Amino acid sequence: MADFTAEVFQNEYLPEGATDTHAVVSVSCANAGKAGTSGEVAEVIIIDTSGSMDMPPAKIAAARRAAKVAIGEIVDGAWFAVLSGHSVAQMVYPTHPGMAKMSEITRAEALAKVGRLRSGGATAIGAWINAATELFEQTSGAQCHAILLTDGKIEGEDSLVLTHALRSAAGKFQCDCRGIGQDWVVEELREISTALLGTVDIVAKPEQLEADFEDMMRTAMSRGVGDVRLRVWTPQGSELLFVRQVAPAVEDITSRGVQISPLVREFPTGAWSDESRDFHVAVKVPVAPVGNERLAARVELVVNDQVLAKSLVKAVWSTDTDLTTRIDPAVAHYTGQAQLADAIRKGLAARSAGDERTATVLLGEAAKLAHQSGNENTTRLLAKVVDVVDADAGTVRLKQNVEKTDEMALDTRSTKTTRIRRTS
Amino acid sequence: MSTTCPACSAPVADGDAFCEQCGSGLTAHAVAAPSEQPAAAAGTNGRACSACGGSVLDDGFCERCGAKAPTERDHWCESPAAWIGGVCDKGIAHARNEDAMALAGLDDRSLAVLVVCDGVTSAPDSDRASLAAARAACSALVATPAADSRAAAGIISHWTDALVLACTAANGAAVGVARTLGDPPEAPSCTFVAAVLQRDVATVAWCGDSRAYWLPDSATAQPLTVDHSLGTELMQGGMTREQAEADSTFHTITRWLGADSVDSTPEVHSVQLSSPGWLLVCSDGLWNYASSPEAITAVIGEQLAAGNTEPLALAEALVRWANGRGGHDNITAALARHQPSLR
Repeated sequence: MADFTAEVFQNEYLPEGATDTHAVVSVSCANAGKAGTSGEVAEVIIIDTSGSMDMPPAKIAAARRAAKVAIGEIVDGAWFAVLSGHSVAQMVYPTHPGMAKMSEITRAEALAKVGRLRSGGATAIGAWINAATELFEQTSGAQCHAILLTDGKIEGEDSLVLTHALRSAAGKFQCDCRGIGQDWVVEELREISTALLGTVDIVAKPEQLEADFEDMMRTAMSRGVGDVRLRVWTPQGSELLFVRQVAPAVEDITSRGVQISPLVREFPTGAWSDESRDFHVAVKVPVAPVGNERLAARVELVVNDQVLAKSLVKAVWSTDTDLTTRIDPAVAHYTGQAQLADAIRKGLAARSAGDERTATVLLGEAAKLAHQSGNENTTRLLAKVVDVVDADAGTVRLKQNVEKTDEMALDTRSTKTTRIRRTS
Repeated sequence: MSTTCPACSAPVADGDAFCEQCGSGLTAHAVAAPSEQPAAAAGTNGRACSACGGSVLDDGFCERCGAKAPTERDHWCESPAAWIGGVCDKGIAHARNEDAMALAGLDDRSLAVLVVCDGVTSAPDSDRASLAAARAACSALVATPAADSRAAAGIISHWTDALVLACTAANGAAVGVARTLGDPPEAPSCTFVAAVLQRDVATVAWCGDSRAYWLPDSATAQPLTVDHSLGTELMQGGMTREQAEADSTFHTITRWLGADSVDSTPEVHSVQLSSPGWLLVCSDGLWNYASSPEAITAVIGEQLAAGNTEPLALAEALVRWANGRGGHDNITAALARHQPSLR
């Protein structure tokens, strides 16, 4: 069994009358093992084969190669299937609607089928998700994961189809989404990756796709612990303000919470490999007299209803301002990283809506936050969209001729955070 | 239940008459050491939260309201005989309970020993020093044979000597805590007050500002101690009690026990008790809210009138009362009920 540890970073001291408690809970997993070691694993690869994948033909060719590389990474014994997505989702391998068990023979058969993928038709992503859900329903209980590749926005399908598809897919599988080129819509893929606990990213050039698929499938195969839940208890009379994953990327997971008893909510976090993730938990607790110590939250890591790690978030009321005015460095850092991601997303939205003034202010704020927190990746991505005049002051000028793919890269990757440097 | 030797804190088995480690007598006087574990009343799981009545989980917090369950060190009671009772409590504002007490007595009302020590908050680990000191003094007094003289003068001189020795033992225990911790720059230290009641004579020894009172049933309280503090010096210099208490140096003590003590000689005072009443030994967490003899008389009177007439119930009531006033410091109240012997 994997070893989970949870560590709390917080300043538990609150001034008299205060109620808001913030903590960063850092969770690490070791000895996760490989996918399939402690249960079944199922993989579905969904390749966009709409007409546009042929324009230029390098895209469909890259998709074939990338799908092959991904199939090569799937472990023997895993359930798998490949879908071709256009106006409907069509079985590529196996040819009957179902999953195949990975072996030398099925791998060779699948590689041959994928090599013959042809494009034509619309982009009905909702239908593709529905097809994947049906496949995964046959392997329920397995650790289920999908890769979805598209090059365009949804066409030939009502937008409600995707919404409904995601509702029935949630909790059944995780889905990593990739957009190739610049004609797809970040928001559409982000909606999928958020609902299905996956990642979203841009692959600007077809030749980058193989390496990306290899990496994605390797990561999926390194996850030996499926369906890990963050269980959060908060006291009677309190309000859970938010639960936010803050590392490796910012993702507000508050709305994913499922009430399992009056004081306890569970947040699905998907499958884990040997890795660390940080969560920012904020709770408004009922005020208590100075000198009192109360628990603001119990944060537990749960697998199969078994608690594998537990940490306590506390609140202690004090009149000592030396204690109460200190802000925990981890809480401060990740609050800044969340603001950074938010400023970029809103700044880009303002820019595409033609509101250059708001965009300049927000992206300037982002440049400042990225600079101050040492988030070099985001600083580099920002520099392709704005000219930074003064990073410390947050003064920027919007670039006039921005590559669309650079803007999309900034949009999809702005949630990646830097870890706080812990003093040893 | 684990039991430790009150003199040297070595573990001892229930029923042992003497400590294997230091040879101190244990009979009837060994009290379970307050542990840092949450107080376990009846089984660990069925424990109720004192704030809301929910159950306390193994992590030491209530499963419903999240309140921290007090540890045994934070709040405990002692009642070595039905006529003797004391409560030692963390109060509200302080993070830990640095007060300590150790009580002993005989069921036939022939002897009571009440010891209270108040750890100095500015020095870390003073909670350990106060507990070691209180237990060492109590143990030394219990090991002392009762005065064989029936005359008051004989009893006074007997217990005066014994109390000075007990204070030396208490100081030794406090210094011992510093040694165990590798002599930290801020030596763990505490106040000391011990009262012995034999026949109709109460003898009290003290260092610092923990107090003893004689409270006759039908008269005003009589202080048996004078604080060793700058507050006392201010009043001796002509200030009124109100003026002195408003001064920031009022609580600065001039005598204490511990490795950095300059003067750990106790002052000793005796009084003959010819009427029924209460012998009270307490820390400043209680008397801060009733500093004058009139005020403490009134408070005790109120609690008795409310039906808290047994020693333990009265001690609990006094602690509750002080917490009701804000509980700004740790609170200890130890009481013995006195009935004059027939002559």
